[in-house]
Amino acid sequence: MAGNKGRGRAAYTFNIEAVGFSRGEKLPDVVLKPPPLFPDTDYKPVPLKTGESEDYVLALKQELRETVKRMPYFVETPEEKQDIERYSKRYMKVYKEEWIPDWRRLPRELMPRKKCRKAGPRSKKATDTGKGPSLTNPADVLKKIEELEKKGDGEKSDEENEEKEGGKEKSKEGDDDEEDDAAEQEEYDEEEQEEENDYINSYFEDGDDFGADSDDNMDEATY
Amino acid sequence: MTQAEIKLCSLLLQEHFGEIVEKIGVHLIRTGSQPLRVIAHDTETSLDQVKKALCVLIQHNLVIYQVHKRGVVEYEAQCSRVLRMLRYPRYIYTAKTLYSDTGELIVEELLLNGKMTMSAVVKKVADRLTETMEDGKTMDYAEVSNTFVRLVDTHFVQRCPLVPATENSDTGPPPPAPTLVINEKDMYLVPKLSLIGKGKRRRSSDEDATGEPKAKRPKQTTDNKEPIPDDGIYWQANLDRFHQHFRDQAIVSAVANRMDQTSSEIVRTMLRMSEVTTPSGAPFTQPLSSNEIFRSLPVGYNISKQVLDQYLTLLADDPLEFVGKSGDSGGGMYVINLHKALGSLATATLESVVQERFGSRCARIFRLVLQKKHLEQKQVEDFAMIPAKEAKDMLYKMLSENFISLQEIPKTPDHAPSRTFYLYTVNILSAARMLLHRCYKSVANLIERRQFETKENKRLLEKSQRVEAIIASMQATGAEEAQLQEIEEMITAPERQQLETLKRNVNNVFLNFILELFIASVWK
Repeated sequence: MAGNKGRGRAAYTFNIEAVGFSRGEKLPDVVLKPPPLFPDTDYKPVPLKTGESEDYVLALKQELRETVKRMPYFVETPEEKQDIERYSKRYMKVYKEEWIPDWRRLPRELMPRKKCRKAGPRSKKATDTGKGPSLTNPADVLKKIEELEKKGDGEKSDEENEEKEGGKEKSKEGDDDEEDDAAEQEEYDEEEQEEENDYINSYFEDGDDFGADSDDNMDEATY
Repeated sequence: MTQAEIKLCSLLLQEHFGEIVEKIGVHLIRTGSQPLRVIAHDTETSLDQVKKALCVLIQHNLVIYQVHKRGVVEYEAQCSRVLRMLRYPRYIYTAKTLYSDTGELIVEELLLNGKMTMSAVVKKVADRLTETMEDGKTMDYAEVSNTFVRLVDTHFVQRCPLVPATENSDTGPPPPAPTLVINEKDMYLVPKLSLIGKGKRRRSSDEDATGEPKAKRPKQTTDNKEPIPDDGIYWQANLDRFHQHFRDQAIVSAVANRMDQTSSEIVRTMLRMSEVTTPSGAPFTQPLSSNEIFRSLPVGYNISKQVLDQYLTLLADDPLEFVGKSGDSGGGMYVINLHKALGSLATATLESVVQERFGSRCARIFRLVLQKKHLEQKQVEDFAMIPAKEAKDMLYKMLSENFISLQEIPKTPDHAPSRTFYLYTVNILSAARMLLHRCYKSVANLIERRQFETKENKRLLEKSQRVEAIIASMQATGAEEAQLQEIEEMITAPERQQLETLKRNVNNVFLNFILELFIASVWK
């Protein structure tokens, strides 16, 4: 298969003239390594265009980068729990506006499902402007106590909670679509009765409150 | 999507929306259309976070959803739309040049929020404008509404697809996701709103809101309780229209460079007349008669009809073929050949890149090959009048960078190399695409470099910020000049370095724009 090599002499299989090298000329060296990472260039790049409009656009870009960090669409990564909770952290939190999407335009499955239900009407009903983050601790505790009382009183809320829990567990186990749809259907109907602000309250709270309102509290006695 | 583009998308998403959204977005770009649970499983993020990220991405038109059979909803990312985020400042600046500060703020709000209702936009913009005005003056909603309507009339802002109104919602379970529809006619239809009011100035005490929960602030009660009159009608910025505008600007400036100011004005008039009548991907504009053009010329230009006709003939005869003559009625019907114009612009860009990178002799060879389409090695040397060795070297350099390609023409069916012609040729489309890809790569590199520089000099930047504050306060109290000087010197070179990288970042973006348009035009 190697065939005749021209009687032991190297010969090109194609016309070397065509690519531009004359016969017998020294061919360029074979390169055995990748090209350098920062090669020297003979020609330096042209200087940037500067002018009023470019400066303005530059300033706009810088402003934009700062602004987007403060928008509600910028989703912060949840920080890990620190060993010692710094007192100053609570007071250095940057205040952000809340944002509720228009649920009519989105698939139903994107609506967040809460683990437990805070039953009873809220004192402050926010519509589109949304509510702020959770209040400072003492007020929070008082509120929770109020809710627990209400929960203890209302039977309907108990049922709702159990249904919710059941539905959530089912969805967690990853059953087939129909059951999910049925559970979601139930939850959807329930949620239609609730106010939209529930989304904010549980969704945007700090780590210390999230998950703490588990249904275990129901079994404890309320004071 | 190429690796460089995905990297750039990832950097942009991270900058604008944070890491969680970036992870989900990049995953969708890489893998295509996927349902919710698969995304959560593959990216190993909690379902809640995935839902939130998807809500944000859908709000900003970066991800679309589709309902498939058996009720499964799949989400797909739009990579090209993510790349447009690079150009937001340019869109905002364009709106400023056309519609002044009001227009600028409207477009900025729409871009930052994805979609908004008209009333929300008007209110926010009025508030922002009021803050910048002098004390005691407020911005009227009517003025902002007028600018909004003008933006819609010129198609810079368009309606988002609507949720279809369901008559009977209790027949069967509601669908898992609404199918959004939009009628062509309704896209620029402004609802009749009577927005009465003035912008509100925020009290200075309200601005000091760090750590102070909103609940303690007095709420703006009256506006919240009223039902929103245009509920459900959302508007978004029409990016294609902005691209059209940029394209027109590029064509006009090209004509101005090649010929003179008057001909560029004529071309600008023609383009303006066909702004809304020509669809964005059309190869040429609607034919315009010379009489119409004469009537629509800007008021300051008083050239006579004959002069206009002469100019038009000159433009039509130009080898660049920006303007073509399509008929003789009405004093001569003229069109602007958009695709041809874009092609010429792309070619010019390629030529200038070759010149800056490899030198003017290489550029000569490049232009030669462009002109003659296919050339052999020997012919290149002869026509370009460059010695063989150098010509060879240059050709191979360009070949290795993929500006020029080789075309084989076999003489025999067995494609034996000794009996094959090798011709050098320039494939404009692929060279343009290669250059575009390179631009994206360099923008991604620049963004990374900027982030690196920021991190390195974070300490210094914070220091400089503090120094600026000190200077400001000292100037208020009337300090000595020498002290101020001393403080200013504390800011050193790295601070400027950072600014440089930023600038390069922004300017690089401009270059890739024409190439993108050209590629898009050829594909359509």
